[in-house]
Amino acid sequence: MSPLLLTVIQAVLVLGLAPLTVGLVRWFKARLQGRQGAVPWLPYVALATMLRREMVISESTSWVFRLVPFVVCATGVFLVLILPLVSTGSALSAYSHFMLVAGVLALGSVFLVLGGLDSASAFGGMGSSREMTIASLVEPAVFAVFAAFAVASGHATIDGMVQTGGAALLVTPALLFSLIALVLIALAENARYPVDNPATHLELTMVHEAMVLEYSGPYLAMVEYASALRLTVFLLLLANFTVPTSFLFHPSAWQTGATAAVLVGTFLKLLLGSFLLALLETSIVKMRFYRMQEYLSLAFVIALAGLLLTLFL
Amino acid sequence: MDPAFLSFAILASLAGTVFAALVALLGVRAHHFAHILLAFSGAVGAVASIAFVVQDFEVLEIASVRLFFGMTFALDVFSAIFFAIVGLVSCLCSVYAIAYVRQSHEGYHIASLNAATALFVLGMQGVLLSTNVLGFMAFWELMSITSFFLVMADRKPASIKAALFYFVMTHLGAAAILTGFFVLAQGTILADFRTLAFSAQVIPAPALALTFFLFLFGFGSKAGLVPFHAWLPEAHPQAPSHISALMSGVMLKVAVYGFLRMMLFLIPSLPATFGLVIIGLGLASAIFGALYAVIERDIKRVLAFSSIENIGIIFTMIGVGAYAFANRLPGLLVVALLAAVFHCVSHALFKSGLFLAAGAIVHATGTRSLERMGGLAKRMPLLSGAFLVLALSAAALPPFGPFYGEWMFLQSLVQSLAAPTDGAVTGVLVLVLFAVVLASALAIFAMVKLFGIATLGAPRSEAAEKAVEPPASMNAPILLLALLLAWMGVFAPALVSLVGGKDLVSAANRLPAIEIVGIRPDASLVVPAAVFLGLLACLGLVFLLRRLLSDAKRERSYHTWNCGQPIDASMEYTATAFSAPIRFFFRFLLRTKNTVVAIPVVATNPWICRRELFLNLRSVWMDYGYLPIARTCLRAASIVRRVQSGSVQLYVAFIFLALLVTLVIAL
Amino acid sequence: MYLAELWRLLFLGPRVTEAKERFVNPKDASLEAVGEELKTVVRRLYGGRSLRIRAVDGGSANGEEIELTALNNAYYDIDRFGLSFVASPRHADMLFVSGPVTRNLERAVKTTYEAAPQPCMVVAVGDGACTGGIWKDSYAVVGPVESVIPVHVRIPGDPPTPTAILQGVLHALSQSRV
Repeated sequence: MSPLLLTVIQAVLVLGLAPLTVGLVRWFKARLQGRQGAVPWLPYVALATMLRREMVISESTSWVFRLVPFVVCATGVFLVLILPLVSTGSALSAYSHFMLVAGVLALGSVFLVLGGLDSASAFGGMGSSREMTIASLVEPAVFAVFAAFAVASGHATIDGMVQTGGAALLVTPALLFSLIALVLIALAENARYPVDNPATHLELTMVHEAMVLEYSGPYLAMVEYASALRLTVFLLLLANFTVPTSFLFHPSAWQTGATAAVLVGTFLKLLLGSFLLALLETSIVKMRFYRMQEYLSLAFVIALAGLLLTLFL
Repeated sequence: MDPAFLSFAILASLAGTVFAALVALLGVRAHHFAHILLAFSGAVGAVASIAFVVQDFEVLEIASVRLFFGMTFALDVFSAIFFAIVGLVSCLCSVYAIAYVRQSHEGYHIASLNAATALFVLGMQGVLLSTNVLGFMAFWELMSITSFFLVMADRKPASIKAALFYFVMTHLGAAAILTGFFVLAQGTILADFRTLAFSAQVIPAPALALTFFLFLFGFGSKAGLVPFHAWLPEAHPQAPSHISALMSGVMLKVAVYGFLRMMLFLIPSLPATFGLVIIGLGLASAIFGALYAVIERDIKRVLAFSSIENIGIIFTMIGVGAYAFANRLPGLLVVALLAAVFHCVSHALFKSGLFLAAGAIVHATGTRSLERMGGLAKRMPLLSGAFLVLALSAAALPPFGPFYGEWMFLQSLVQSLAAPTDGAVTGVLVLVLFAVVLASALAIFAMVKLFGIATLGAPRSEAAEKAVEPPASMNAPILLLALLLAWMGVFAPALVSLVGGKDLVSAANRLPAIEIVGIRPDASLVVPAAVFLGLLACLGLVFLLRRLLSDAKRERSYHTWNCGQPIDASMEYTATAFSAPIRFFFRFLLRTKNTVVAIPVVATNPWICRRELFLNLRSVWMDYGYLPIARTCLRAASIVRRVQSGSVQLYVAFIFLALLVTLVIAL
Repeated sequence: MYLAELWRLLFLGPRVTEAKERFVNPKDASLEAVGEELKTVVRRLYGGRSLRIRAVDGGSANGEEIELTALNNAYYDIDRFGLSFVASPRHADMLFVSGPVTRNLERAVKTTYEAAPQPCMVVAVGDGACTGGIWKDSYAVVGPVESVIPVHVRIPGDPPTPTAILQGVLHALSQSRV
């Protein structure tokens, strides 16, 4: 199996499944709340509908506003290409260096923030300010987590970390802290509870949603798709770090039987991940934004504990 | 290329700068010519020094003057890199200045401004070329004094105050450097650097420590290292923008160059604690600079604080190098120094670009306050495009050049964590890792605020609404700098190998008796060009898909969604509002003060009142550091003044006493 | 302990959502015929299988708003029909306008309609929105919603029950899909 083909398979699979993940989370959440809920594939219909619609662009916006959806989407696609989500050792796996991943994630956040500021509405600015605060203050925790994995696995690329991931976790139980911190980071980066409420209609409590209030039609579809992509990437990454035999493709070990296992495994990971996310979101409340410092410092301290225990145990 | 030709080119560049200064004195008519000449000489210098770096010479002897006890000038790889920065940035700044100074409303005295600019550049070039203490100090003073005059070029009271503050600080620093040389050379100031390198190995430990702290204060105060930084955010913004660009982009680098050069002599014999001192001050600068860059609302002050942050990161890199060497991690030393030099180059490019862009924006909007800007991206698309690239570079985001410098440094830190070292070293490295990450995360915030508030949204003032694209001669240097940063993002490894592990070591050929085991940063695995192209390809893919899946023409323009009420720009988020969360989260460090004044409107009812909120962004360092010292000095001076009574007899008595004391000491 | 109790409720608690049939093919409700314009709109948007709603208060006494809020709860669960409320007209495919349009809110209703991407369907919720209701000839009232923006679906009632609102909208959608 050539590494290039694996990259293509991974791209097609993850890019295709991303809206489903969001739908699954919503469906699980509705079920837990005693509702019937929308069908999990509703986001596909929603995206298709948005793509067909007219765009209304604010008069006060500039070229930056139009550039934002493309860049945000492109950073998501780039991450899907380099990270070990469905297969390790794919063609671009050498690029999954954690600094590059953190940088590209930050690039996506920065552009979303710029889009929010360009709308010239108070809501956009508010969301941007909050998102930027969270995105920048979460950064030390991100580095602490990946430094811990890098030290434990001896690899600086996430691909390398995942390849030794499950085993390294068993050998180095300290990485449990890093994993918990990674969950906290994932919640912050994806604007989920307790950092943000993804289903809110109240502008004053919004973070992510407030930035995209001004987007419509295809641009809105792109922004929403990018956030679905980011959520899927994080869920798969968390699963790959956690599950010892990660159900991943690898260029050297390729059998027809494995294909089914990987496909089913990937789907199961998404299913389980979105279920756990939905359970978390129905079990806890959103934190007040001005208490985010506590959340972010908690994430950092846990990540630091993981790193220090990895270093000194 | 022939070395003789190169040294001729460097000399020609110097001569061109001098000539530009002379021409500039002719007055307004010579304005164009002087700047073209300065640009040309800068370009020649840059090209010659880059040609020198590309070829494998060790040292290029340029000239040796027998005047005043003799000065020698030479170029090695290390100083050539900085010389190239000076040449390039001064070239672009001169091109920019042609239109900028012309259309400025500040009422500059054009002849003296231009002459001082040329002499300022000459001073920086001279510092880099000097290989003995005397030349170094002479050109250092030239650089300091001309920049002092440049800071108060607009002759406003605020500028004069800032310039005087700068003057005091820079001369305290110069005195410290001179004393440092004096101590290091064991009682002479006529030494050349080769002797300094030698005597650094042999002088006793207390003298070494004294030298180190003198250099740290001297070069640190020039570079804007916390806590000697307070002059920088006052002085840099007051200067004309092309001078701010030269000061922040290049003069700080010259200070770093001086420190780095001396550190190369000192590092072999420095104990690890001194490395920790540099790291401590560096990290303090990085975090305080970044925090103040986040909360500042004046476009040029934001940039000045961002300079402090970047200088902090560079000093941290140097400190880590020194600390690593003392703890037998020579690999980390090389990477850290390499990263420091790399970051110097990238900071010079993006910061001068940002200051030039800020100058154009300030000119277009007539204010330095971010709160009165906005909507510029729509009105000046070219400038704002370049501004965006520069801001993203300053935020160290991929795929631009500065990202790779930070990557190199942080990755080597993580790698050293994995290497078996003792606990204290690991602890220090972990601390450095997180402090640097926090500072650069805050820098992202600051840069997003800078770009977003200044150029996006609706214009917040009438002047901003009427802003137009600056003339091409002002736009071109900014665009070129943005392009250079993108180019750096593609060819980072080439630049790293140019700055070079091997070269840096051989550049320190005045650094005898240390073996540095050169490990190259592992940049071969990831090709920055591929990252750049990969991101572009993804962008193209998304663009293509959007074209295929939806009809691009179905769009309509309408005003911003306003919840049914008319909105105007005063309801937009401002810079103050944007940075409010950071101000709140770091209130224990920043100690900003909110004052609410309530004035009753109706005399009979105290509850009905008009409230005004004042937000005071105080500087902790000024309030708790500088002002008490200044007050103490003034008090001491007023006591000493009593001596100056005006009676001649008393003065004669003083002379007598002085003679007596001299005799006692002499005998 | 609290978490255990919560999870017991979440996993084992009753499903309270009302049966779909009550809204989709109502037998006892009298529903208006669907206009040609709405049909083209709904067909264009993939049969209206996923629609986002922006609620606009055109001057109602808030009776309609309370009923609209009820649509979001677990009993009516509007999400399962692919409908959801959004925070910005830019995201909306459908406007729910309630109340007779007062002079003060005329501009709000109009700009909301204009701010939404076209084609956008408008649902007049409640008697006030359909005809002006008891405020019909008041000096403070412009008139029913259709005197300001075009209306595609009318749902009478003062206020209409959530069931009536859902029935009206879903009927309009299902009739337009064909």
